[in-house]
Amino acid sequence: MMKQISNRKLRRQKRNRFFGALYASIIYALFYIPVLVMIQFSFNDAKRNYSWEGFTTMWYGKLFSFRNHDLWEALAYSLIIAVIATIISVAIGVLGGVGLKKFEFRGKRFINLMLYVPIVVPEIVLAVSMLIIFMTIGIKLGMGTIVIGHCTFCIPYAVVTIKGRISGDNETLQEASMDLGANRLQTFWRVTIPSIMPGILSAAFLSFTLSIDDVIMSNMLASARQSTLPVLILSVNRTGVTPDINALTTIMVLVMVAGMLLLSAVQRARAKKEAREIAEMEKRISTMHSMVE
Amino acid sequence: MKRTLSVLVALIMLLTLTPAFAAQEEINIFMWSDYISDDLIANFEDEYGVRVNLSYMSDNADSITKLTAGAGSEYDLIMTCDAYMESLIAGGYLEQLDLSQIPNSENINRAYWSEQNQGYCVPYLMNYIYVVYDTERCPIEITCYNDLIRPEMKGQIGSVDGARNLFPIALIALGYDPNSRDENEIKEAYEWLVKYNENVVAYGSTETNMVSGTISCMFTYDGNTAEAMAQLGENNTLTVAPFTSDPVQLGFDLYVIPKGAQHIDLAYKFLNYICDPEVMAANLVDNPYSCPNDAAVAAASEEYRNGPAFDFDYKTNIFFQEDVGDAITIYDQYYQMLKVG
Amino acid sequence: MNGASTAKKRHNRLPAIAQAGPVSLWMILFVTIPMLFIIFISFMTRGSFGGVEYTPTLTSYETLADVIYLNVILKSLRVALVTTVVCLLLGYPFAYYIARKPADVASRLIMLLMIPLWTNSLMRLNAWMLLFQTNGPVNKALLGLGFVEKPVTFLYTDGLVLLGLITNFLPFAVLPMYSSIEKLQTAMLEASADLGAKPSVTFFRVTLPLTFPGIFSAIILTFIPALGTYTITDMLGGGKVLYIGNIIKNQFGTIRNWPLGAALSVLLLLVTALLIFVYSRFAKIEDMEVL
Repeated sequence: MMKQISNRKLRRQKRNRFFGALYASIIYALFYIPVLVMIQFSFNDAKRNYSWEGFTTMWYGKLFSFRNHDLWEALAYSLIIAVIATIISVAIGVLGGVGLKKFEFRGKRFINLMLYVPIVVPEIVLAVSMLIIFMTIGIKLGMGTIVIGHCTFCIPYAVVTIKGRISGDNETLQEASMDLGANRLQTFWRVTIPSIMPGILSAAFLSFTLSIDDVIMSNMLASARQSTLPVLILSVNRTGVTPDINALTTIMVLVMVAGMLLLSAVQRARAKKEAREIAEMEKRISTMHSMVE
Repeated sequence: MKRTLSVLVALIMLLTLTPAFAAQEEINIFMWSDYISDDLIANFEDEYGVRVNLSYMSDNADSITKLTAGAGSEYDLIMTCDAYMESLIAGGYLEQLDLSQIPNSENINRAYWSEQNQGYCVPYLMNYIYVVYDTERCPIEITCYNDLIRPEMKGQIGSVDGARNLFPIALIALGYDPNSRDENEIKEAYEWLVKYNENVVAYGSTETNMVSGTISCMFTYDGNTAEAMAQLGENNTLTVAPFTSDPVQLGFDLYVIPKGAQHIDLAYKFLNYICDPEVMAANLVDNPYSCPNDAAVAAASEEYRNGPAFDFDYKTNIFFQEDVGDAITIYDQYYQMLKVG
Repeated sequence: MNGASTAKKRHNRLPAIAQAGPVSLWMILFVTIPMLFIIFISFMTRGSFGGVEYTPTLTSYETLADVIYLNVILKSLRVALVTTVVCLLLGYPFAYYIARKPADVASRLIMLLMIPLWTNSLMRLNAWMLLFQTNGPVNKALLGLGFVEKPVTFLYTDGLVLLGLITNFLPFAVLPMYSSIEKLQTAMLEASADLGAKPSVTFFRVTLPLTFPGIFSAIILTFIPALGTYTITDMLGGGKVLYIGNIIKNQFGTIRNWPLGAALSVLLLLVTALLIFVYSRFAKIEDMEVL
């Protein structure tokens, strides 16, 4: 009787795992189909991507030609901005999310309300008002102002994400750590942060995504000297995207996939090394035991 | 050891003295993308020893918003269109131009450059907004705007967007002034547009939809038409609608110098440079749009003048989009009603 | 022991300032001040040449009384609601699947999800258009396999718009839910099963309530931005319908009626505040922590 039940349970688990993987694959397909189409059209033999006209690799040649440094500069600019904005937003947002949950202070409700504003109000409104304020004070437009703009909408996303993670948590872990002698900073860094790491990662990924795709703030708060990549692509979109941009995106995808594979290979190598070291230590302990006996 | 050191010092001194490290003057231009040839920019940079920073707009609103917000001083030249000139001038956002510093501007046809505008802008290129259809797939022949609202055209039309592009053709179809400020006329135009809206498949991406066969008729810019025709190549069966009496809109993309621009002298040099007939004629090879610079058009190639997108004979039957002052809010109101339903 | 540490907390304000300080400062500097400016100009007049005339008036708010704005807001609310519901329904199982994997696998799966999102969203929208256009691969396949006789019109349909919205907003639903579900301890699920609960009962009475903060975060990060979205609907919907985001954008654009745009933004804020207020009346106290 027990064997029958556990068999049924096992079969159900296997079936669930299969359907789970199938479902996840469908969702991944939903996200990767446009990427594949984009890659295909980087080989399009036409001046603009209105429709498929034939196969060619000339756009990759054009991309790496001396003339075409606009795209690469825009990409580098966008990446730098995104990385800086993500770091700042996650730092302030995670700290803020934790602090807003734990502490009570006057004006806490007000700050909570303010956090919603960048999410609710269309970006153009904040962008225009920030532009006017910067112009009035006399702050020079450029990478700094764009980063400030990006952080302003990324921080609320980070805070909301972290709050979703730490909701319901209590302070027992932190109190235990401090009872054992760690100070606040050590507790935060070595107890709190690792315990909310999935939330931090989610916040970081969301912020990066928002920043690297942003058009409106990046348009309004930009200097005349350099545009970000999404702004560049939006302006080209009016007459039609040229396939060299597809080529650039394809290379980006390849680099990211390669980076991910490299990262997982490094992780796996490290895990293997750790496992090997543990096994060796266990062997040494058992030989020591047998020697004592 | 001593010799390598002295060679090193000499090398460093040489490097620091080369012009590559000298600070270059810059000129900042804000305009449409894909609208000026790379060669023109490179040649200008070489001839005057300056660096040209191009930033691109994706919408007319971009330059308007920046100017209104006071960020115009970031740029030395901004591109805008003639429809906004009146309010931009009156609002004090622009530097007045001293045309004596732009001698080449004589080449521009004064029919396209009003007395008032001459003080504040230099036209660059112009574009017709007209009707184009596929002779093989379009159900009927289009000879006037009223043909566009016929029931046979349902699901066949791709159109540009924007209240000030759509309402004028409705007003003309009803026999009114395309720049009317009369609320009753605008209301009737709205009702005309409701029928037009039923025939429209999509606003925007007209050339993509035409090439991919989604639509058979488009109300769009001549530039987009040229791109579509070029893409279709031998299979091009598109033709500009043979209008008999309705005028088409002619719009201009103009350069203005915003108030507070940092490098006005360079801006003048650039404006003078692009008005040079040879320079503009070469530019027209990469950007085969209509041009108000008569001397440049004369100097351009036969291929340009006979471009299929310009194969129509009513080029002088045109109207301009004029600034309608406060009536723009009335247009916006009815435009919203059109789109919200 | 406890009494002593709480007494210490009360005196030592430094941790509070260090943690909640930066975010408060940022919000005040870069959100409150711009918003005060926006509220200010919502009470000003539109200048004749498109600027802002500093003459106080209620014209903008009077304009808002027109029923057309109610229609626009209702339309936007509907789009946002459908998008959020679909994203939650599709996203929760996906987030659950990833969250129950070991940590290193989960982070790899999340990275795999992120990679397409870090390619430009405009390019991906273009890709959907290319895929579904009249002579695109999908129609060619359908015609070739004989499923249809004429090309099917996919472009500019509500279905395509929904597809675009989902692919844009799904990650913003999945990530908060994932980070909340990851917290679930298997021990609790096992305990529930040991006590005799069927899997569905465990799900509805243990899993779902415990992960509700994540779901609520997901709702906030999907519904509210979807209210103001317009680029996706413009591109995939053919620009035939205006939403509140379009209208606000136009006021700051060629219409140049900044006071009206500001008033609309204030209206949008009030609508959202109202929704949150209504929700908080029905929610439990723990769920309010996410607010």
